[in-house]
Amino acid sequence: MSAPKTPPPAEKGGKQASAPSGAEAKLRAFHEEESVKSSADFSNLRRLWPFVRPHLRYLLLSGVALLALAGLGLFRPLLMGNVVSHAAAKQPSALFRDGLLLTALVLLTQLVTVGQMYAMQLTGALSMGDLRTHIFSFLQRLPLRYFDRTPVGRLVTRATNDVDAVSEMFASGVFNAFGDVIALGGIIAAMLYLDWELALIAFAAMPLVALLVSYVRNGSKRAYRDIRTKTARLNAFLNEQVGGIAVVQAYAREEAMAHEFDRINGAYRDANKRSIFYEAVLDAAIEMISTLCIASVLWWVGGKRIGSTTHPVSFALVVTFTQYIRQFFEPISLLSTRFTVLQSSLSGAERIFELLDTKDIEPDDADDKLTASSDVVPSASAPAFEMQDVHFEYKKGVPVLRGISFAAQRGEKIAVVGATGAGKSTLASLLLRLYQPVSGVVRIEGRDVRSLRREELRERMSCVPQEIFLWSGTVLSNIAMGDPQPSAEKAESALRRLSAWELFERRGGLSATVDERGSNFSSGERQLLSFARALYHDTPILILDEATASVDSDTEARLQAALAVVLRERTSLVIAHRLSTIQAADRILVFHKGRIVESGTHAQLLALDGVYARLHRLQFGHDAQASSSPSLPALQPAPQP
Amino acid sequence: MSQPKPSSSLGALLRQYMPSYLAGALMLAAFQLSMNRIDWLSKQAIDAIFSSQAGQSAGAAVRPALWMLVLAVAAFFTRVASRFFCFNAGRDIEYSLRQRLLDSLHRLGMAFYRKMPAGEIMSRATNDLTQVRLLTGFGVMNLINVVFAVASALQVMSGISLRLTVASLVVFPLVMFSTKLFSASMFQRTRKNQETLGRLTEVVQGNLAGVRVIKSFGLQSAEERRFAAVNREYQEASLALARLRGMMIPVVGSAAAIGVLTFFAYGSALLLRGPSQGGISEGDFFAFSLALNRMTWPMVALGFLLSILQRGRVSFARLNEVFDAQPEVKDGPITPEKPLSGALRVRDLSFAYGDRKVLDGVSFSLQTGESLAIVGRTGSGKTTLAMLLARLLPTPEKAVFLDEQDVCSLKLSAVRGVVGYAQQDAFLFSTTVARNIGFMLRDPDSAESLEKIKQAAQSAQIYNELQDLPDKLDTIVGERGVQLSGGQKQRTALARALLWQPRLLILDDPLSAVDAKTEAAILDALRGHIGEPAHDGDRSLLLITHRVAAAARCQRILVLDHGRVVESGTHQQLLQLGGIYAGFAREQQRARELEELGQSDAPESLPTLSVGGQP
Repeated sequence: MSAPKTPPPAEKGGKQASAPSGAEAKLRAFHEEESVKSSADFSNLRRLWPFVRPHLRYLLLSGVALLALAGLGLFRPLLMGNVVSHAAAKQPSALFRDGLLLTALVLLTQLVTVGQMYAMQLTGALSMGDLRTHIFSFLQRLPLRYFDRTPVGRLVTRATNDVDAVSEMFASGVFNAFGDVIALGGIIAAMLYLDWELALIAFAAMPLVALLVSYVRNGSKRAYRDIRTKTARLNAFLNEQVGGIAVVQAYAREEAMAHEFDRINGAYRDANKRSIFYEAVLDAAIEMISTLCIASVLWWVGGKRIGSTTHPVSFALVVTFTQYIRQFFEPISLLSTRFTVLQSSLSGAERIFELLDTKDIEPDDADDKLTASSDVVPSASAPAFEMQDVHFEYKKGVPVLRGISFAAQRGEKIAVVGATGAGKSTLASLLLRLYQPVSGVVRIEGRDVRSLRREELRERMSCVPQEIFLWSGTVLSNIAMGDPQPSAEKAESALRRLSAWELFERRGGLSATVDERGSNFSSGERQLLSFARALYHDTPILILDEATASVDSDTEARLQAALAVVLRERTSLVIAHRLSTIQAADRILVFHKGRIVESGTHAQLLALDGVYARLHRLQFGHDAQASSSPSLPALQPAPQP
Repeated sequence: MSQPKPSSSLGALLRQYMPSYLAGALMLAAFQLSMNRIDWLSKQAIDAIFSSQAGQSAGAAVRPALWMLVLAVAAFFTRVASRFFCFNAGRDIEYSLRQRLLDSLHRLGMAFYRKMPAGEIMSRATNDLTQVRLLTGFGVMNLINVVFAVASALQVMSGISLRLTVASLVVFPLVMFSTKLFSASMFQRTRKNQETLGRLTEVVQGNLAGVRVIKSFGLQSAEERRFAAVNREYQEASLALARLRGMMIPVVGSAAAIGVLTFFAYGSALLLRGPSQGGISEGDFFAFSLALNRMTWPMVALGFLLSILQRGRVSFARLNEVFDAQPEVKDGPITPEKPLSGALRVRDLSFAYGDRKVLDGVSFSLQTGESLAIVGRTGSGKTTLAMLLARLLPTPEKAVFLDEQDVCSLKLSAVRGVVGYAQQDAFLFSTTVARNIGFMLRDPDSAESLEKIKQAAQSAQIYNELQDLPDKLDTIVGERGVQLSGGQKQRTALARALLWQPRLLILDDPLSAVDAKTEAAILDALRGHIGEPAHDGDRSLLLITHRVAAAARCQRILVLDHGRVVESGTHQQLLQLGGIYAGFAREQQRARELEELGQSDAPESLPTLSVGGQP
C-alpha cells in the first residue's frame, strides 16, 4: 500500500484554482490512491477464476438464461406487431391466440430473468464466500512478524469490504452487458430484416447516441471515481474525528477540522451533482432519441412511403419498430453504471491479490519434510523441551537471543529471570513456535518443533501469557477456549481445584457473561480464569509469563496458591517476577542480554553472588526484609518420581 | 461554527429549499406537458398515414412528426432541469446535515461518546443520512412527478377511450401494493445483511487483533470454524436478499405487464371495431400505448416512494438524536476582556462518575511561570483532574478558577485557548507527521511553520527518528499510514503539544512508553520551553506523571491517592516525608537499577552456559 511516487494529475474540479502544495498532493494521492490508478486491470479477473470455477454450473446456467432472454426479447415486438396486424385484418381468433402467446412470452421472460439473476447471485455469493475463507486462512498463516508492522484495520478491510466490492460485480449484473450486446445485435438484425429502409432511418440517430454516450461516459467516469474516493475519505475523516474527539476539543480545533471536513464534504457533494447531471442527461437523451427515432420513422412513412406499392408499410410494422427502438435504448442507459461497478470491483480484487501475493509466509503448520525425517515416535527419555544453540533477532543486526541451549526434564519447573530486554519473553515465543529461530533447534519431547502439527503442538503445550486475553462470551467459553465441545464439568473442576469456584459462582457461574477483553473482571479474576484455562486443557508442558501487575495481598496469596496447583505435575517454564515463584522452581535460568549466564537453585545462585544475586537484591531486597517471604505449603516442589 | 442552524423538523428543512423544489416542479410540469403533446401528435401522424385516403395525407403526417422532434428536444431539457433542481436540493440537504453532524459531534462531550459507540455514530452518518437524502431528492422529485405524469397520461388515455383506460389501470393498485410490500421487507433484509457483515467484520477484527494469542494457544482451527459460521451466515443473508429481489421482478413486472397485455388485448379489439363503431383508430392505439408506457414506471415506483418517505422520516429522527443531544460541558457566557494569563486555582474540587467518586476535595494553585507535578498510581484520579481543568468533562462550578474567574462562567474557547491539554493516549491523525505536529498551525506548509515543527520535534526528541521515515516529515502516519511505535507516537503527540505553547500546558503522562534517558532529555527541553521568557508573559506547566524522575524536575509536587491530595511539597520535602512519594521513589530507583543491570555487560567471569538437564 505504498503511496504512488508520482503526484496525481491536478484536479480540474474548477474549485481548486491554486496549485496544491507538495504535502497536499501527497496526502491526496494517499487518501484517494484509487483515483490516480489508470484504467482497470483486467488481469485480476483471471485471478478470480479459481474461486468462480467450482461454481461454474451456476455461472453457465446464468449465461444460458442470458442468451435465452436476448432471444425472448426479440420475439415480443414481433408478437405485438402481429396482434395489431391481426386486428387490422379483422381476425379475432388469431388475435386471441396472439394474446395468449404474448402473455406466455411475458411470463416466461420474467421467470427466466429471475433464474438468471439468482444463478448469478449464487455464483457470486458462493465464490466470494470461498474467497473470503481463503483470505482468512491466508491471514492465519501470516507470521507474527507480519502483524508486527501492518495495521489490523487494513487487513480487515481486505476480507470484508474489498470482497464485497468484488461481489458487486455479480450482484449488480455487470455480466448482463454480454447479454445486452447480443440483444442489441439481434435487434439490429431483426429491424434490418423486417424493413431495411425504415431501419436505416431509425438508426440515423445512432451517431448522436454514440456521441452522447461517450460524452456522458467521459464525464461521469471521473465523477463516479471522485464519489467513490470522496466517500471513503469522508467516512474515514468522520471516523477519525470521533476517535480523536478529545484531541480536537482539547486543542480547540473544531473550526479548523470542520473547515477541512467542509472541503471534502463539498467536493463529495459537487462530484455527486456532476454525476446527477450526467445521469439526467443520459436518461433524458435516451428518452429523447427514442422519441426522435419514432418521429423520424413516422415522418419517413408519412412523407415517402405512404401509398407506395413497392414497399408498403403496415401499422403493425410501425408498432414493432417502436418497441424495438425502446428495447434498444434500455441497456445503453445502464452501460455507464455497469462500467463503474466493474471498475470498483476490479480495484477491490487488485487490493486483495496484492495481499495474497505477500511473500514472507512461514509455514505455520508442520514442515512436512521435517516431519518425515525426524523419528515420529518420541523417545520417552527425551527432555520435555530443549533448545540447542538458538539465535534469534526481530530486526536484522539486533540479536535478542544469542546461543541459547538448555533442556527441561519431564516434570521439572524452570524459572527464567533477568532484567527487561534480556530475552525472556522471546524464549517463550520460540517455544510456542510464534517465531522461527534464525539458527539452532527448538525441540519438544525430542522432536523439532517445526515438525509438529498444530494440533500436536497444542496437545503438548499451553501457555498463560502475561497479558490475559479474554474474549467476549461466557466464563465457560473462555475457560474451554478452542474446545469444539466445551465441558462444563471440566471447567467447574478446574475452578474448584483453584479454590475459585465460589468466587465465580457469585459472578453468575460458568454462564456469566465476559465482556470484550474481559473488562468486567478484575485483574485477579482474569488471572484465575487463565489458570483455569490451563488446567482445563491439561497439557504436559506449560509456559507461563507471570503477571507483573500488583494486586492486593489477599488476591496475591490466592493467586500464588492457584499457581502452585497449576504447576503441579507438569513440566513448566515460568518467566518469573515473584520471589515465591522463583523459590519454588527446581531450577533458575538467569538471562542477561540474550544469553543464559547462570543456572541453579535459588540457594546455589545466591551463593554464586553473580548476576542473580544482584537481580535478587534489586528486585526483592526490600520485600525480603519486609515480608520475610512466606512460602506457602502448596509451593513445595512437586515430589520427584 | 457561526452557520445558521437548520431547524429541526423535516418540513422546515424542505421549506428552506423551496425555490429549488418549485423550479423542479415547474420543469416536471413542462416535461409532462411536452410528453402529452407528443402523444397527441403521434396520434395525428399515424391517423394521417393509416386511416385516411391515400394521397391527401403526405403533408399531414410530416408536420406532426416535425413538431414531435421539437417537443422531444424540449422534453430533454426540461427533464434534465427537473432532475438538476430536485436532486441537487437533496444533495445540498445531505451536505448541510453532514456538516451539522460534525458540528454536533464536536460539541458533545465524553458522556455522549460513552453512550453512543463509534460504530453507531458512523451508521447514522452513512445509512441514515442516505435515507434522508433519498427522501429529499429522489423521493420529493418522484412524488411531484407522479402527480404530473398521471395527469398528463390520463388526459391522453381518457381522451381516447375511458373504458380502455379503466381496463388498463385496473391492476395498478396491485402493483403499488406489491412494491410497497417488497420494499419494506427489502429494507429489512438489507439491514440484516449489513448486520451480518458487521459481525463478520468483528470476527476478523478480533481475530487479527488477538493474533498473538491465537497462535500461542493454537486456536487457528477454532477460529476458522468461527469464521466459517459467520461467513456462511453472511452468504445466507445476501442470498436471502437476492431471492427477495428475484421474487420482486416477476411479481411487480407481471403485474405491470398484465396492464400492458390487457391494453393490447382490449385495445386491439377496439381497433378492430374502428372509430366509426365506437372503437379506436390506429393513431389512438399508438398514442394510448405511449401514454400507458409513460405512466407505468411512476406508478410502479409509487410503492417504493412511500417506503422511502417512511424510512427517511425515521432516519431523520435518528439524526435528530445526535443534533439534539445536550453537551454535558456547557459554554459559559463571559468572554474575558483581556487574554487570560493562565493563573490557576483549584478549590475543593470533587468529581464522580455516577456513584464512583474519583476526586474528593482537591485544592491547589499554580501561578504563571510555575511548574507543578501531580503524581499518583493508576486510578488515583490524575487524568480526571486534568480533563476537568481543560473542561473536557463537566467541571463543577466554583471549583476551578482561571485568573480568579470561575472556568464555568468563561467561554469554552477562552478556556481552551489558554489551557493546553495533551492526553495520555497519543492519538495521531491520518496525515503527515508534520501536520500532526503542526496541528495548531493555520498554515502548516509555510517555511515558518516548518521551522516551528522541526523545533518542536527536536524538543520532543523525535526529530532524528522522523528523519529515518520513508518520506521524513511528510510521511503519513496514523491508522491508515505508517505505524509508529508507542514511544514514537507519544513523542510526536508531545511535539504537537509543545508547538502549541499555551499559557498553561497540562501534560497527562506523556512519556509512559519512553525510556528513561529520552525522558530526561525531553524534560530538559521542556524546562527550556517553560522558562522561555515569552513576550506576553510566563507559561506554566502541569505535569501528570507516575514517574518520580519526571516529577522531581517540577518546582512543586502533589501526590494524589484515591482522589485526595495526600502529600504536597518539593521533591526533597516529599522524600524526607517518607510517605507514598518516597515509596514510589524507592520502587522506581530499583527498577532503574534493574534496567541498568540489564544494559550492563555480563560479568566476564561467566561464559555463556550450556545448561543440560538436572544431574
